[in-house]
Amino acid sequence: MSTQLPASISEETVTEISAERDEPDWLLQTRLDALAALDDLDMPSVIETPGRRWTNLEGLDYESLVDPLDQSDETERVTAEGVEVLDFETAVAEHPALLKEHFGSVVDPQTNYLTALSTALFTTGTVIYVPEGVDAEDVKVRAEMNSRSLFSHTLVVTEDNSSVTILERISNGDGDVDGDRYFSNLVEIVTGENSYVQYGSLQNLDEDVYNFTLKRGDANTYATISWIEGNIGSRLTRSDIETELTGDSSETKIVGAFFGHNDQHLDINARVWHHGEHTTADLVTRGVLDDEARSVYEGVQDVGRDAWDTSSYQRENTLMLSDDSEADASPKLIIHNHDTEASHSATVGQVDKEDLFYMTSRSIPENTARNMLVEGFFVPVLEEVEVDELREDIDDLIVARLD
Amino acid sequence: MSSDQDHLKQTDTEERFDFKKDSKEAFRSEKGLTEETIRAISEDKDEPEWMLERRLRALKQYHEMPMPTDWPGQPDLSEVDVDEIVPYIRPDVDVRGGVDDWTELPDEIKDTFDKLGIPEAEKNALSGVGAQYESEVVYQNMQERWEEKGVVFCNMDEAVQEHEKLVREHFMTTCVPPSDNKFAALHGAVWSGGSFVYVPEDTTVDMPVQAYFRMNSEGMGQFEHTLIIAEEGSEVHYIEGCSAPKYSAFNLHSGGVEVFVNEDAHVQYSTVQNWSKNTYNLNTKRAIVEKNGRMEWISGSMGSKATMLYPSSILKGRGASDNHITIAFAGEGQNIDTGAKVYHNAPNTKSTIESKSISKDGGRTNYRGLVHIADGAHGSSTAVECDALMFDNESTSDTMPYMEINESTVDVAHEATVGKIGDEDVFYLQSRGLDDDDAKQMIVSGFIEPITEELPIEYAVELNRLVELEMEGSLG
Repeated sequence: MSTQLPASISEETVTEISAERDEPDWLLQTRLDALAALDDLDMPSVIETPGRRWTNLEGLDYESLVDPLDQSDETERVTAEGVEVLDFETAVAEHPALLKEHFGSVVDPQTNYLTALSTALFTTGTVIYVPEGVDAEDVKVRAEMNSRSLFSHTLVVTEDNSSVTILERISNGDGDVDGDRYFSNLVEIVTGENSYVQYGSLQNLDEDVYNFTLKRGDANTYATISWIEGNIGSRLTRSDIETELTGDSSETKIVGAFFGHNDQHLDINARVWHHGEHTTADLVTRGVLDDEARSVYEGVQDVGRDAWDTSSYQRENTLMLSDDSEADASPKLIIHNHDTEASHSATVGQVDKEDLFYMTSRSIPENTARNMLVEGFFVPVLEEVEVDELREDIDDLIVARLD
Repeated sequence: MSSDQDHLKQTDTEERFDFKKDSKEAFRSEKGLTEETIRAISEDKDEPEWMLERRLRALKQYHEMPMPTDWPGQPDLSEVDVDEIVPYIRPDVDVRGGVDDWTELPDEIKDTFDKLGIPEAEKNALSGVGAQYESEVVYQNMQERWEEKGVVFCNMDEAVQEHEKLVREHFMTTCVPPSDNKFAALHGAVWSGGSFVYVPEDTTVDMPVQAYFRMNSEGMGQFEHTLIIAEEGSEVHYIEGCSAPKYSAFNLHSGGVEVFVNEDAHVQYSTVQNWSKNTYNLNTKRAIVEKNGRMEWISGSMGSKATMLYPSSILKGRGASDNHITIAFAGEGQNIDTGAKVYHNAPNTKSTIESKSISKDGGRTNYRGLVHIADGAHGSSTAVECDALMFDNESTSDTMPYMEINESTVDVAHEATVGKIGDEDVFYLQSRGLDDDDAKQMIVSGFIEPITEELPIEYAVELNRLVELEMEGSLG
């Protein structure tokens, strides 16, 4: 492992974090195991082509970024009828058995260096429990980061025949911190049979925050997991959104929208594994790049040997507004079963000149016309967002960035 | 199609590719890779000092470079032990550098190429033919009318002597330097044979030239080098065919191909590769395309145990263009990892990549491609289309395109689809009296048609026959 363990982290640090929260032994042990594993774990794998690594995660100065004992956040949680939406500490106290059963069952804490670091150090997070038969809309988690570094862990558990839409919003608070910061966010979703989860996330952190997020769901029989991942802020974002289609006839949708400007770097990954039979996946990502912003996109559709009758689709479109920006993409199909319909497509282009001409010829000023076209570019993605507030928020941020 | 005809065709083709010969050797290098071996090869070829120096430098680079092992999903190369192969075998032929009359070939070599159908092709459709047996070209001929125009088609060893200035300038310098990858370095150290093609300004060679490479001995490596220089406004189509019988030990093929497409020139490079299923095919092929030049790569990858091959074009001049058409077929135990690389380094450059793959009986195909659009390559466009056909759930088909886009005024599109052979299509054909196998074969022939129609008829027929044989599972 090339990254050295920050000197600020030790068994004592981790034990202190755990003790403050009155955590059970198994959770402390999970944290300590993750800490011990750091020496041997690699950074998340990053796409490489001859001569270059597309995202430099090794280059971050974790030593100065990570300040584990001074984590601070302001998180507002809005629940819906019949659903339990608890901050992590309360959940530890009230639902010990639920946590023990599901924590780390979908996101292995030792997936990579950054997941282990997050598991060892997390101080905030949310547990959302949707009992059998409950249909709930508009669960909201609005998190504000107020410290140099913040580590968060969210667990969603749905029982059979339930449904829920969740909106997560991440931004900076008023915390008075200068310089580079680091935000880490792990989300795992465990689904019951025939349940439905839409998990929408909108990240609008300041542009001095390095942001790492891994969200993964496990879809049960007839279950559907629908992800929305909007990335507007941060200096560097590494975002992995993943679904394991474990149950027969399960479905997933991964919808991504990003808009980078200045020297933002966005490394966006959408991955699906088809394990069960008759599973369906639909991956749609649209991004816009301006100034010297850079995007890296990887989409993986992996169809297993026993995944009969699979349908899997992926589209990625990037719009470049500046010659100094860079868009890298690698959509991957990995197919082990022939009873599959799978396709992916990716395009990169600029604002269509003819469209622009058409609009300016109707006396719309060029700048306005261009902004309208960029806004319109996101429409196919925004249409997938069921939570009105989330759709409007993303749209507002896009409009704000265009002005 | 009656089954009798099928049967005849199969035995015919099977014999064509999969037979062994006891061959006599004039010179066989020691196994493995040492400075002494390199010096011995160079001395046996009576090479100038500069070439020996290049070989030794490449050898040094080879030893310094790691094996490529960490690409996602790449073929397993752990069996590739270069110290176990014989890098150089010169067959016992009277005329060094090849005879120019077919009848002068020793019988056992002539028979080999007769069976492969080379002489008929030469009479019928080609401007010239080179035939390589083991490490050396044994036959080389160019039609006189082309020679008169200054077109050169000779074997690479001869080119080092006869066209020293051109070779010295172009050989593994800017196009495929040995530092490119471990197997390019290996190639640079032990290369032998291959073709040299030079087409003068404004000359159109309107019939293809062809080289055929045959590996006959067990446990050998073949490292032929192809260097094509198409001067301004010229045009040439080069075809390469390869085959080797099956042995229990592994063979290594690590060729190098360098193509220089100058201003307004047009080069088409076609390959039908059918190495035996113990061969590791680890090749480096690259073209540098100047202003308004056009490069076309047509490849059919059928044989080998594992192939790693990504023909690449560097579009260096404004308006340069590239076309890739590839087809890969992986049957039992095969891993065909292939694709295309295009670097758009100048404005208004264009590329299209059309890739088809078929996997069957546990075979594994992978399209691994790279499209790079450099900063400043405005007005460039690229379209990549990959289609994969799968026959069963033992097989694997992957698509891993990489796109690096540094310029906004571009048009980039990638599409890939994977599917099984259409049950309805099969049913339709069966309901018209075809049996299951014939129906599937016909669908596959239709699937690969975009590539076969780009090839001269002999090659198209050969490719179709090979596919049919693979479909039957009767090859190797």
